[in-house]
Amino acid sequence: MLAAAAAAWTTSARAQKMPVIGYLCPESPDLFDSRLRAFHQGLREAGFVEGRNVAIEYQWANGQYARLPALAAELVARHVDVVVAPGGAPVALAAKATGTASTIIFEMGGDPVQLGVVDSLPRPGGNITGVSSLSVDVSPKRLELMHELLPTATRLAVVANPTSPTASSQLQKLRSAAETLGVQLRILNASKEEEFESVFAAVASEAANGLVFTSDPYFAFRSRRLADLAIKYGLPAITQTRDFPIAGGLMSYGGDFVQSHRRAGMYAGRVLKGEKPADLPVQLVTKVELVINLKTAKLLGREFSPSVISGADEVIE
Amino acid sequence: MIVRDRFRGLFPKYFLALFMAVAIPLAINGGIEAWFGYRDQRARLDQLLGVQASSAAAEIHNFIFDITTQLGWLVQQPWTDEPDEQRRTDAQRLLRQAPAIASLTLVDNKGHERLYVSRLGLNRIESRADRATNPALVGARASRVWFSDVSYNRGSEPYLTVATVGNRPAAGAVIAEVNLKLIWDVISAIKVGQTGIAFVLDQPGRLIAHPDISLVLRGAEASTSQPFRSLREAIGPGVGFATSQDARGRMVAASAAAVAGPDWTVVVEQPIAEAYAPIYAALWRTAALLAVSTVFAGLLAYALAHRMTEPIKLLEEGTERIGAGSFEHRISIQTGDEFQRLADSFNRMAGELALAQQHQERIAKLKRFLAPQVADLVDRAGDDSVLDGRRTDVVVVFCDLRGFTAFSAGVTPEEVMGVLSDYYAVLGRVIAQFEATLISFSGDGLMVLVNAPVPVEQPALRAVDLAIEMQKRVQKLIAGWHARGYQVGFGVGLAGGPATVGRIGYEDRLDYTAIGSVVNLAARLCASAADREILVDADVAASVRDRRSVRDLGNRQIKGFDEAIPVFGISYDAH
Repeated sequence: MLAAAAAAWTTSARAQKMPVIGYLCPESPDLFDSRLRAFHQGLREAGFVEGRNVAIEYQWANGQYARLPALAAELVARHVDVVVAPGGAPVALAAKATGTASTIIFEMGGDPVQLGVVDSLPRPGGNITGVSSLSVDVSPKRLELMHELLPTATRLAVVANPTSPTASSQLQKLRSAAETLGVQLRILNASKEEEFESVFAAVASEAANGLVFTSDPYFAFRSRRLADLAIKYGLPAITQTRDFPIAGGLMSYGGDFVQSHRRAGMYAGRVLKGEKPADLPVQLVTKVELVINLKTAKLLGREFSPSVISGADEVIE
Repeated sequence: MIVRDRFRGLFPKYFLALFMAVAIPLAINGGIEAWFGYRDQRARLDQLLGVQASSAAAEIHNFIFDITTQLGWLVQQPWTDEPDEQRRTDAQRLLRQAPAIASLTLVDNKGHERLYVSRLGLNRIESRADRATNPALVGARASRVWFSDVSYNRGSEPYLTVATVGNRPAAGAVIAEVNLKLIWDVISAIKVGQTGIAFVLDQPGRLIAHPDISLVLRGAEASTSQPFRSLREAIGPGVGFATSQDARGRMVAASAAAVAGPDWTVVVEQPIAEAYAPIYAALWRTAALLAVSTVFAGLLAYALAHRMTEPIKLLEEGTERIGAGSFEHRISIQTGDEFQRLADSFNRMAGELALAQQHQERIAKLKRFLAPQVADLVDRAGDDSVLDGRRTDVVVVFCDLRGFTAFSAGVTPEEVMGVLSDYYAVLGRVIAQFEATLISFSGDGLMVLVNAPVPVEQPALRAVDLAIEMQKRVQKLIAGWHARGYQVGFGVGLAGGPATVGRIGYEDRLDYTAIGSVVNLAARLCASAADREILVDADVAASVRDRRSVRDLGNRQIKGFDEAIPVFGISYDAH
């Protein structure tokens, strides 16, 4: 009897297998490594460790954002318990578009209310909630920082990704900020890596000599390439992620991705524990960081004002 | 059996009494201890929660106070009309150092905005916008440090506006927007016991800080804050902690403390099960101790009751056995107390009873051949050593019937036995009367001893008087017998002198007897005595010559004696 009960327990334990997280990633594992580690850390803080008490199914778009809806549908079809959609608004929107009944936890830089992903921050509604890193909101600050570095410049270049859902709202804010700052904007588009060089070449050949990148995951994950091009063309540029100055770019201003991905992991854990997404307000990242690279500034023959240096969270020398 | 039942009842009585004597004081002590322990623990819990609440309030206060202190650095120097690059650097540095500050507005002594720096919005430098009527500025000018009500950014993140002024109007004022979400670092680090938490409510009762950030992000909603507000109301302004339900519906012990400055309240709560755990543990400990003590009391009472009733049982059995005649039985009690003494005296009594019984048996034996008076004498002496063999002067009396053999051959045995019965009845009374010792019967003959085993005064005289009384009584019988035609006579012979006296025979058949020539002489004198005759030897005759009439019958040849022996006759009045 006891043996039968034990056997039944074992089979039921096997049948009651680990919960599964579906992880929809817009990039390759290599590029996403630092974000994934932050996600795992958050998951661990909520009490889950991959392979021990939770399984994770990954879908990698490898930079081909157009594939995201198909990959999301594939993930949903596997009946995962939670869909995690990190790395930007396109991913969250693709996941939401599947109409899955599973909970979706997003991680993005944009405003999820404005994008129509959630109803409100405290009451997201539906089966979706997550973390916003505020990177999209601070695009005008990037223009301001560039203006401060180049106070005499009357024209600054802005690079946008036309395929990004937040592109138009960011450009609108940037135009408004440019008006306040008294500069003109030269808006350039790039949605593929091959288009980057032409953007830099165009700016280098024109009067506009500072590049402000809008918040966009596609740009963020290609910081090294952008930094190389900035050095090559001797152009001061600013992006949203610290990866850029670390790779040799001039500076970055944006939400702390470690914090946002970690919190997404914590939320995924809480949902696995049975909490309803409707009860989990959308979290905004508290840390927006400024990272500057003095080495690059020297290389470019530019100088940061003391107030910028003292306000920087990290200074690379 | 009844006695046994009563003793069976004694054990439970003793047991109960002893058990109660130990268990009741223990129970009372345990109860009192538990009550005071409970009170002490409650007082301790009250103190503990109070301290936790104050310490949590101090930490929250420090969080705010740190920010105001840092803001103070921005209002040290007086403003000039020139743009203040240094102050801008300081403001940027402050933003970096104090992550909770979202934006800073610096205003000069005229109330004009000189600098605005923000994490999210565009900075404004020297906008000179008039902020004189800004409530923050008005408040700070009035009270040096001013706190706004808590507002919720986009209905989610709680924000506080803090304004402070310098020590002189020329230094202007600074207004900071503080993101209260960052109190999370402070509040989540506060642990109350194992699972207890702390949270912060603003003056109207909205949730500002809680270890679960998702609750704080909905703090603006009445439904979110309501349970927390209820808990604060349950605690009230009074001293001491309150027990109430928390937001998750679990019972908690909670205490509150005010945060100086922004007029907030910090509430610390601990699940009641955990808060009371030491109380429950103490109660359990007391209960367990009581249970152990009770068992111990029971064992003790059992052992004591057993110790008390066991000797009584032994005594009871012993007395029963002694009562049943087992005088050799001894009660063995080695308790060293009154019971042992009682057992010892029982044992002594049993010994004495055995002795008394032996004595009784001896006396009964003595009575067979001693006159009752003599037997009693021996009895009173308590010593039968008088029966021991010795040599002493005795008077031996023999008597028998003349012509009895011929008579007995001619009549029926019944008539023989009837005659003998009457005869011995008469003789027995006489022997008893004179306290003589009956030695033996043989048919119609009888041997009696005087002066042994009990010495008497003037044994010869007594023996002679005995013989006279015998003759007198028997002759009366003979007179009757003659009337019936029985031709029998009665003769008596006495002799005095030394003889060996003592008990002879074996175990159950012991007789007292005398051995010596005096016995033979008395027997021969009897044999030669004719009817109505009492023959005595010279010794006896000499002893009684003056007091009784003694006739000298000259020397006679007596069988068994070589020479003729002087024989005397005793005359007696037949009537």
